[in-house]
Amino acid sequence: MENITKKIRAIAKQALINKDVDKILGWKKGDLWSESYPAFITKAEEADTLIWDLFCINNLSKFLIKELQKHDKIGIFIKGCDSTSFNQLLKDHRINRDDVVLYGIPCEGMVNPEKIKKIMLNDRVTGIKKSENGFTLTSKNKTKDVSGEEIKYDKCITCISPNPVVYDELLGDEVKNKEREEERFKGVEEIEAMTPDERYEFWKGEFQRCIRCNACRDICPACSCVKCVFENQNAEISGKAKTEDEDSFFHIVRAYHVAGRCVDCGECARVCPAGIPLDLLNRKIIKDINEVYGEFNAGFDSITPAPLVTFKLEDTDTFSKQGGK
Amino acid sequence: MSLDSNIANKNEEFKPLIVAFCCNWCSYAGADLAGTSRLKYPANVKIIRVPCSCRVNLNFVLRAFQHGADGVVIAGCHPGDCHYSTGNYHTRRRFSLITNLTEYIGIEKERFKVDWISAAEGNKFATVMNDILEDVYKLGPNKKLRDARWKI
Repeated sequence: MENITKKIRAIAKQALINKDVDKILGWKKGDLWSESYPAFITKAEEADTLIWDLFCINNLSKFLIKELQKHDKIGIFIKGCDSTSFNQLLKDHRINRDDVVLYGIPCEGMVNPEKIKKIMLNDRVTGIKKSENGFTLTSKNKTKDVSGEEIKYDKCITCISPNPVVYDELLGDEVKNKEREEERFKGVEEIEAMTPDERYEFWKGEFQRCIRCNACRDICPACSCVKCVFENQNAEISGKAKTEDEDSFFHIVRAYHVAGRCVDCGECARVCPAGIPLDLLNRKIIKDINEVYGEFNAGFDSITPAPLVTFKLEDTDTFSKQGGK
Repeated sequence: MSLDSNIANKNEEFKPLIVAFCCNWCSYAGADLAGTSRLKYPANVKIIRVPCSCRVNLNFVLRAFQHGADGVVIAGCHPGDCHYSTGNYHTRRRFSLITNLTEYIGIEKERFKVDWISAAEGNKFATVMNDILEDVYKLGPNKKLRDARWKI
């Protein structure tokens, strides 16, 4: 981690001094020890604020849409899931590949501060260190060893792209962290096993917590429409009154609008202030696409057309009695 | 879409309301044929004519369920027969996902059907509508996804 931080700072400084790029997108330390914020720097002397630690969870790719309107060339540090998002933005023609310099960083998974809080509920944790087979949490008068799985984000445990799939320069060695990939759809299968009424009750309970802050939409690298359908005041689908049906309408339509383009970065579920497991909706669609139309991983390249913009004459379906699964 | 029929029958036997989105070139003509051939199909089916089955999107389906439908049918030309050449191939892909998604959300799969009905299949039109009506009747009125401001 420290090595990569050093490399990040050196690269950012060099690139800004040589004027290779106008701006660098990276991460800096936040207010708390368990937070890292996105950092945008334009001056070489600011490069020393950049870091790479266990909390650099933010997906920086989507910032490119707005930043590229102001700058000609941008350097960006990307993890595996950021790189698939980057490919998706390229595929949607939101950004130009030539305007961006990509510095890829292999990622072993990020740590979820919420999980740490739960583990050491009564002690104020003040730091975290990597140990031989996991992590060591330290508080004022106590230390505790935990395994990686206990404190990493769920999405990181079942990650399918720990290494960047597109980059100009790779910092650090590629990591192998794919052993639990097959458990990716476990949550979806649990819901599928319920009866329709149980499923409806489950989702009703989740959706009615929604406060319609639109954070899930704003963070999503696939939700990049200039004007979103939910901003249309006349469509009667985003009224000021909080109604249960509009909440479920929003979430079902949001999930469907990113069908075939969702890179499964899990940011929607992470940013949700109400803790709605939105990734379970997206993963259901990904699972169906994989089962019915063949394995497809959005964002692994920027050329293959998404499953919903193309078709084959011999396609099966899921609704007829004869065909489909 | 008039909902007066439902309001009038408030205290009577459950009469399901089925909304059918029919493609102008095949299924709507199929419904026409069913009518002219004097085939019996339920009057609870409200047909909405769309230019092509791929014109129907998820919003329409959810909106129908929100505002009183007990069942929704999407009917289009058979794959390969689309008036616009490729429209229903897209329908097939989209609604394969949407069928599974609505089921995942908790809507019973009997309430939501997609089928191919050509202009010559008046019989099939009547069968499909009778089938879904029977299924929905067994399930009872749909209470899921309802707009709270919409009251029977």
